[in-house]
Amino acid sequence: MQILQFVIDGLLLGGVYAAVGVGFALVWGIMNIINLAHGAMIMLGAYVTFWLFKLAGVDPFASIPVAMAMLFILGWLIQRYLINYVVRAPMLITFLMTFGLELLIVDLSLNFFSADNRSVQTFYSGARLDLGGLAIPLVHLYTLMVALVLVTLLQLFLVRTRIGNAIQATSMDLDAARLVGIKISRVYALTFAISAAAAGAAGSLISVNYSINPTAGAFYTPIAFVVCVLGGLGSISGALVGGLMFGVVQSMSQAYIGPAYQNAIAFALLILVLLVRPTGILGVKTAT
Amino acid sequence: MSLGVVALFLAACGGGAAPTPSAPTASTPASKPAASGADSASAKPAASGAASAKPAASGSAVAAASFDGTLLIGAPMSLTGSLNNEGRLAKQGYDLWADVANSKGGINVGGKRYKVEIKYYDDQSKQDQAALLTEKLITQDKVQFLLGPYGTASTFAATAVAEKNKMLMVVGNGAANSIYDRGFKYTFGILSPGVKYMTGVEEAWLAQNPRPEKLAIMAANDAFSLEVAQGAKDGADKNKLPVVYNQSYPPDTKDLSSALNQVKASGADVLIGSGHLEDSLVLMKQVKSLGVNFKGIGLSVGPSTPEFYNALGKDADYVFSGVQWVPEQKSTGPILGSAQDYTDAFNKKFNEVPEYHSADGAAAGVALQLAIEKAGSLDMEKVRATLAALDQDTFYGRIKFDGRGFNVDKPMIEIQIQGKDKLIPVWPEKDAAGKIMWPAPTWDKR
Repeated sequence: MQILQFVIDGLLLGGVYAAVGVGFALVWGIMNIINLAHGAMIMLGAYVTFWLFKLAGVDPFASIPVAMAMLFILGWLIQRYLINYVVRAPMLITFLMTFGLELLIVDLSLNFFSADNRSVQTFYSGARLDLGGLAIPLVHLYTLMVALVLVTLLQLFLVRTRIGNAIQATSMDLDAARLVGIKISRVYALTFAISAAAAGAAGSLISVNYSINPTAGAFYTPIAFVVCVLGGLGSISGALVGGLMFGVVQSMSQAYIGPAYQNAIAFALLILVLLVRPTGILGVKTAT
Repeated sequence: MSLGVVALFLAACGGGAAPTPSAPTASTPASKPAASGADSASAKPAASGAASAKPAASGSAVAAASFDGTLLIGAPMSLTGSLNNEGRLAKQGYDLWADVANSKGGINVGGKRYKVEIKYYDDQSKQDQAALLTEKLITQDKVQFLLGPYGTASTFAATAVAEKNKMLMVVGNGAANSIYDRGFKYTFGILSPGVKYMTGVEEAWLAQNPRPEKLAIMAANDAFSLEVAQGAKDGADKNKLPVVYNQSYPPDTKDLSSALNQVKASGADVLIGSGHLEDSLVLMKQVKSLGVNFKGIGLSVGPSTPEFYNALGKDADYVFSGVQWVPEQKSTGPILGSAQDYTDAFNKKFNEVPEYHSADGAAAGVALQLAIEKAGSLDMEKVRATLAALDQDTFYGRIKFDGRGFNVDKPMIEIQIQGKDKLIPVWPEKDAAGKIMWPAPTWDKR
């Protein structure tokens, strides 16, 4: 019974991790960019939700579309006017560019939002389901559900829609995609914008679950990285699997070995997966 | 008598203005973002200095312009990173001391008046940065004395650099024994030691009815938090309170659900958390959402900052914490006057009710100033000697260092949150300004 509780804790935590990882996976997979500003964009999404809640009383889950829309626009602009100029450059350049972007966003946020820890406290914030001795915090449950919906929609978009196919084609073979008339810069802008929107949604979810401050995003970029590597580079459903797995491993080690070792064990798992299955759990070898 | 103390407290909370205890201007939700945005961590000290208050403490301000020189003091500080909030508070204390000292004619060094100027660098809450920047302050900026950074880790690293350079560092916010047990000659700390933080809370709990039966301890695994936890463990052992769970966690953790479910299974009815503001918030949110009930929760750091209540609302009620200083305490002394004078001056400058982090910082500045003025010289060795021999009552309480440079005589004051902006001193009984609310109701009944 106890162990079931810890699995549930882990899955709920994993929902947050999956939401954090999915946008990161998209940009990495399609554009081959490791976006170090992903955590900062998550933080911005969290603040959209926080301010809407604080100033207008908007329910945090209802504000998810707003956060996504705002981050979508921001992502588009960032790709179009910044990253587009270096997108074909060596990885180090895009690395530095997104790192600089992260510093910029965090510093501006510190100025505008102050360094205070904020929290979205709704009337249902501490509520939970009690299922035969199992405690399931409601907000965490909603978060997991939203994360599942997000991943599913994104996956459907990529597989079923024409634009989604164009995005995938671009990542498979850039030259061939160009030959059939796909406008690469537009595909990239769209990809980055979608990734930013996913970050916005993840931020909304985080603001309900945890307290936030302008530097809070820095915690999530490495998480996104691990989730993507675990699940398989660039794979959307991989981000879900990676996120859930990371959450469960952390929760188990927290319970049975001690919270002090949760990170060490989770990262040891990462190394193990890379040794045994270098492509990640759902990853496939791609010809590049 | 106790009525008087309560009245004093209410006055402190109300900023001394209208006798409404509930709403100090800084903390009303509507005005908060703008106000705190203006003096946030990265705000410019110049601006706040210019706009700053006259000393609220007893008058006789010397006209500001007539200084004989400038005394440059350096301080690495956590202005960003995980400890940015505590860092901001500590910096406010340093700034307030500098302002008041300057408005009273600066530091008097054998008849010459020196203007205090504090040079800050942001250590990003990282100890290697704190060490690096301390080196920079000494070698490049040529500061004459140092004030400490925020937190044990940074202080531990920074004091080592100061010691190597034979440079005095008066530590406002590092309370771990490990800092003072290295035989350093140039490190002085004005805080009560970390092991004392939660022992008073335990004593307070054990005096209640129903008596607590099982204690759980959760600590962030940084030096200071572990020391507080060890102190709590020793205190529990001494008082025969069984400790049924005792674990540490990474300081930047965002999730402790499984650990808390283990605590729940252990049957603990009181919880001591030893960490910092961010992980204290994680703990509180998850204790509630997992429905883990305690008769009392004590947290070493966090509850005394206004943000704690702002972030948690009513869920913050009933929480205990140990603090170094409270505005209501009766202590008084030179430069900053009484605790009440300090509170008024702080409120005027920052539009906030001060809590202990800032008082620690201001007290460090006061100690340094007293030592320099007593020495009548800026000579490092002379100032070090007078500081080591200092025995002085101040707004902060008695400052007297032991052989290690640690201010061990000062007691901790234990508070309980009993509503917004109501941090009621409840222990030791002689300093109590209110009754302990015990036991805390279960989450379902709040």
